[in-house]
Amino acid sequence: MSPEHIIEEALARYERPLISHAKAITGEIESARDAVQETFLRLSRQDVAALAPRLAPWLFHVCRNCALDHTRKLVRFPSGELDESAHASDAPSPADAAGAREETSLLQRLVADLTPREQELVRLKFEGGLSYKEISQTLRISVSNVGVQLHNAIQSLRSAWLRENAEIRP
Amino acid sequence: MKNEHITAYALGELQGPQREDFERALAASPELQSTLASTAALCDAIPGAAEEDLGSRRRASLLADCRRNIAAGERRRKVAKIVFASSLTALAACLLIAPMLPWTTLHRGAPPDAGSGGRSSGFLVQAPPAPRHPLAENLPGSSASVAWADEAGAVPPAMSRVSPDDRSDVDAKRIIDQVAAQPSSSLVTMAGSLAPAPQLGPPASREEAVALATSAPLLADKDAARPVRQFSSGWSSPDARPADSLARSSRGGFNTEAYDAVEENRFLEAQENPLSTFSIDVDTASYANVRRFLNDGQLPPKGAIRVEEMLNYFPYDYPQPDAGRPFSANVESARAPWNPEHELVRIGIQGRRLDPDSRPPASLVFLIDVSGSMRPENKLPLLKRSLAALAENLGADDRIAIAVYAGAAGLVLPPTSGSDKQTILSALARLDAGGSTNGAEGIRLAYQAARDQFLKNGTNRVILCTDGDFNVGTTSQSSLVELIESERSSGIFLSVLGFGRGNLKDSTMEKLADKGNGNYAYIDSLAEGRKVLVDEVGGTLFTIAKDVKIQVEFNPARVAAYRLIGYENRLLAKEDFNDDRKDAGEIGAGHSVTALYEIVPAGSSLPGRPPVDPLKYQPAPAAAASPSQDLLTLKLRYKEPAGSTSKLIEFPVRDAGATPFAEASTDFQFAATVAAFGMKLRGSPGADPIPWKDLLSTARRNLGEDPGSHRAEFLTLIEKAARLPQPSPAED
Repeated sequence: MSPEHIIEEALARYERPLISHAKAITGEIESARDAVQETFLRLSRQDVAALAPRLAPWLFHVCRNCALDHTRKLVRFPSGELDESAHASDAPSPADAAGAREETSLLQRLVADLTPREQELVRLKFEGGLSYKEISQTLRISVSNVGVQLHNAIQSLRSAWLRENAEIRP
Repeated sequence: MKNEHITAYALGELQGPQREDFERALAASPELQSTLASTAALCDAIPGAAEEDLGSRRRASLLADCRRNIAAGERRRKVAKIVFASSLTALAACLLIAPMLPWTTLHRGAPPDAGSGGRSSGFLVQAPPAPRHPLAENLPGSSASVAWADEAGAVPPAMSRVSPDDRSDVDAKRIIDQVAAQPSSSLVTMAGSLAPAPQLGPPASREEAVALATSAPLLADKDAARPVRQFSSGWSSPDARPADSLARSSRGGFNTEAYDAVEENRFLEAQENPLSTFSIDVDTASYANVRRFLNDGQLPPKGAIRVEEMLNYFPYDYPQPDAGRPFSANVESARAPWNPEHELVRIGIQGRRLDPDSRPPASLVFLIDVSGSMRPENKLPLLKRSLAALAENLGADDRIAIAVYAGAAGLVLPPTSGSDKQTILSALARLDAGGSTNGAEGIRLAYQAARDQFLKNGTNRVILCTDGDFNVGTTSQSSLVELIESERSSGIFLSVLGFGRGNLKDSTMEKLADKGNGNYAYIDSLAEGRKVLVDEVGGTLFTIAKDVKIQVEFNPARVAAYRLIGYENRLLAKEDFNDDRKDAGEIGAGHSVTALYEIVPAGSSLPGRPPVDPLKYQPAPAAAASPSQDLLTLKLRYKEPAGSTSKLIEFPVRDAGATPFAEASTDFQFAATVAAFGMKLRGSPGADPIPWKDLLSTARRNLGEDPGSHRAEFLTLIEKAARLPQPSPAED
């Protein structure tokens, strides 16, 4: 498969999960899009064919770095001199967010109650569709560690979910 | 069965015997069946689709940009292929012609005209990953390890000059690694082997010499080392500069941080000083410290800038060594970015990585300074958070203890298993700063605890955490050093973590860690604490080779003069290389060590150095007529963590001709930029200053994969340094 094809397919499959992954770090959609764009530009400068076997972990790892870079720049240059996202952000205001949250499903709300690390694992697994091994390569932790942390996340989700369901149907 | 197998099973991640075990347990337990059913239902219900995308316009332009980048990359690779193909033809020509020529015509002094385009005698050879000679493959533990680095952006291949008269170089104790050039980059990897070197006679035929050349790096035991012939003095730098008073006064305010003056290495003529010897250094404290100054809007004092520690702060993509070997060595050269007349040679050593699941158990004793000066947020509280992160990553076989010292010393956490996280965390929570310092009592207590929880098959380490006000009480510093050295010989190593600012005794702390076979890291943020204590837990805590020394012999026929960048306080006398009693640096699992030499090629004059009259009483130097096409020979000596006799590995490095800087690998360009940054901050003589914006753009182009985003952070430091009043050039 040619490098163009690999990139097109990767974009089709991972565009949304990557944006979601980046947004959780930057907290804001435009910079998350920037991070994903930068990720694919970096990919196109690499030997794409050689990366193909471990593409998903590479993409999520680099995307995470790009998103972190962005938050770092925001913190470090409060003057806005080098701040590329000084223009209006489309992040919802707290009031809008509260309204939106009511509309989102119960589970999205429950996921949001997990620790940031657990949320990240759940996103990589369920939105990204990554295997334990790919997650371990993305986050540079061991496979067994992925298993334990994801298990903890899923089981605390499960008990919260059962509790909520019990409240709805007493 | 482990609990987490429920979730793994529901997600289809459980395989093999674990899966069978789980299914057996499942069949036997209705409770487990119900847990599994609701877990699977939950997994189905978790929303799997993210909603937001790039937008069609942005996606289209991104794809167009990607295609452009791919096309540009392919053009570069195509050029590389053409060169590769034509040099293959040259190789074929050499092999065809060579046996027909009488040996005399191939010897030096009768330059053969078969090689085309060479700078001097010798053929241009571009070797493919050659099949190995059966002889070489039969040698136990000495098979070649030439790693084919595939850097982004396809570096054009290097030309290795292979001299036909190497036949004379193959003697009874050498297996020459004819450094074969690679298809995509000039990066050459040679892995050291632990196996003893077989004794090989001189090859009988030229064919065999060529075949041997593709085999292994030279391996030899200590006794087999070639005698050192040179008598000239190795290292001296008489022009000590006044330390860093200038930089310090410009920072204003009262400050008691202490830094040793650094005398920068000067250019040395290869004719008079052919040997360059130094101890490796995997410390990274200087970079974190420089970052702290720049983030505060101050230029760091010159003594705080140790270029080698800045280089070694960054991970590089060096290949892993072959199985059974502690490290791989990688050499790459290209023109120096600050002076195209000069070449830059990078030596990269990569320690074997350990799988976090299979690392040996660790016995760690933290000795924590809880004196009043540790109270600020960036000291003790930061340390507590970093240690809590470490505790999460300890296994049941690990042991941890915590001792504190201040007015009085005490053990706040007796030796505890790594699985007992609650006890560890609550001991951490109780730590509080207050009182003055008595380090001597504390360090004795820490070593006592380390002996109590000594792990025979594991790593035993005392980790001193302080802001540097290490008051040794009634004892003198030299008796403290003695204590550290005697504990080191019993297998307990010492590492030092520096915290805070304004009171940092940088030089003392580096020395203590040095004496204790440990490393010294400076922690200025939680991210750095994680990097040192969690991400690099392998490297910081698990030594894979100790007393690692590097000696480089330069070929005066190729090199007029050279300069080692950094490592000023790591230089060794040339005799120390073969002296196993001399302590040197340690390399931990996954650590890499990078050193840069700036080389003035033979025929060029030394910058700003008046010529010396020829000597009257000595024969004219003979080395200039040396037939070798080597640029240099890299020699490494190391001991295994528990060993006391060193092993020697030797890698001759061919003169690969000068690759333009822009065509060197990403890692090479980035490392050169970090060195240039450090030298510029120090106002070093020798390197023509590169403008900040060029440093920034070169660094930005060479971010690579950038695990941990450390390189991206480096960009912000360049930006900050550029805005500060510029450093004054050091007086030469």
